[in-house]
Amino acid sequence: MTDSVAVQVCDLQMSYGATQVLYGVDFEVRYGEVFCLLGPNGAGKTTTLEILEGFRRPTAGTVRVLGLDPATQAARLRERAGMVLQECGFPRQARVAELIDLWRTYYPNPRPLGDLLEVVELTEARNTQVRKLSVGQRRRLDFALALAGDPDLVFLDEPTTGFDPEARRRCWAAIENLRRLGKTILLTTHYLDEAERLADRIAILREGRIELAGTTQEVAVLAGLATRISFTTPTALRCGQIPLPDGLDLTVRGSEAVCHSGNPGMTLRLLLDWALEYRLGDLDGLAVTAPSLEDTYLQLTGAGADPHLSQASGDRT
Amino acid sequence: MTRSVRLAMGQALIEQRSFWRSAEYALFTFAFPLMILLLIGAANVGSYLPGTHIKNTTVFVPGILAFGVIVAAYVNLGSKVAVLRHDGVLKRIKTTPLPSGAYLGGLLVSTVATAILLTVGTGLIGWLAFGAMPRPGGLLALAAGLILGIVCFASLGLAISSVITSAESAGPVTYASFLPIAIISGVFDPTFGGLPAWLSHVVALFPVKSLAEVLQNAYAAQPFPAWDLANLGLWAAAGATFAVWRFRWHS
Repeated sequence: MTDSVAVQVCDLQMSYGATQVLYGVDFEVRYGEVFCLLGPNGAGKTTTLEILEGFRRPTAGTVRVLGLDPATQAARLRERAGMVLQECGFPRQARVAELIDLWRTYYPNPRPLGDLLEVVELTEARNTQVRKLSVGQRRRLDFALALAGDPDLVFLDEPTTGFDPEARRRCWAAIENLRRLGKTILLTTHYLDEAERLADRIAILREGRIELAGTTQEVAVLAGLATRISFTTPTALRCGQIPLPDGLDLTVRGSEAVCHSGNPGMTLRLLLDWALEYRLGDLDGLAVTAPSLEDTYLQLTGAGADPHLSQASGDRT
Repeated sequence: MTRSVRLAMGQALIEQRSFWRSAEYALFTFAFPLMILLLIGAANVGSYLPGTHIKNTTVFVPGILAFGVIVAAYVNLGSKVAVLRHDGVLKRIKTTPLPSGAYLGGLLVSTVATAILLTVGTGLIGWLAFGAMPRPGGLLALAAGLILGIVCFASLGLAISSVITSAESAGPVTYASFLPIAIISGVFDPTFGGLPAWLSHVVALFPVKSLAEVLQNAYAAQPFPAWDLANLGLWAAAGATFAVWRFRWHS
């Protein structure tokens, strides 16, 4: 086991009775990065997180969190790792600052109260009763409580599920603030845009297996997705006065001509040669687009398989 | 160890603060027993237990003391823990390094504080309004009854919290599970009688009647309530065993 990684997961397997939910999951989270476990509902994200948090004992495999074994060293782990569970209530009568202050007494080296309020942008609401907070404010209070002990690592389980766009935006801002403090963050989500926006590296979890892991771009390349090359359809081509280029899978969709290629360099050369031959100039509107995380995710999980997927894509702005 | 104690006391303080901030809890816990004390007490002024020189209020006031202990320890703690579990607060506590013992210890200390305050309030009003006072020879029984009573009903409260399935039913379940027994135990009516023999035997098995009798002994000399104290101890042990066996940090 190395100490250079905050979280190491090796061949993690988990069964509930006869139902296996994790089939040998491997990944690691480096210090200081935001790592995202992305996947549809039921993929095993929360189970994985609960094992890392020490709430569940895995059926097989090795797990190290901050050099500790969560199954046997949970008490020490909780002093150094903050945990935001998917849904978790607050004491009904508590006020914001009072609750954070209480949480600070639970830890050996707490962060200052004012600092915590600022990080999660709740300074204005410090004397508000918790039950009067909005959904988004509650979630940010979750963050503040998880951060009270000044942890090295923060777990966030689906931090913005069911939020309206404004609440999500402010939540993301709070997560960005956590990142700026140098915290290592392991978050799960089924929202693509959330992963793309926040994560340094991503692992796509599907049906208990890691399909791919890496940066957004690496993941797309690893998925073997084609680069998309497009340009404005030249008038001559549109009117059928010149032939399509040989050996390229070029489709004309009205004003746009598109082809997909696993070897964009070669394709571009062929395209430009063809343009030169028919005096089309530099091909107006030429664009080379790397495959997106969305393309990757859709291909891996099957479009429409997850009802949240369309919603997540629709949210993209 | 000292750290756990300090954490437990801090927890108890914040529990007390939030208790007094919550109108529903504070009102029901304090106003209900005190209101019954004044209303039913007033109706009993000047009456004596049949065939004795013992004033009704001398027996009635300690009955309400018992009622207060049960409300503070059993109803209050039981519904509180049920709501904390239902709301996920207990689960959240498990994400922190706070030792479970320190947290539950804090809840218990706060419960004891509420029970003592209510006892003092009831005792004072009973003395000022109705002249009911414990007899000097009954102070030992009073202390033993209060301590054992709080322990017994707090453990029963923790036990029942585990069978309550929703936050909404927490109050009704805790009240409904003891009020009928309190009524037929004669807690509200010193002259209560006329139960079938078998039923009064059954009622005597419950800790409600035992606690009332121990405290009544402290006010009006009666045979030393050895059986009642033993019965409270048994119920305390049973409640604690069930509470430990069934305790869950999440719903």
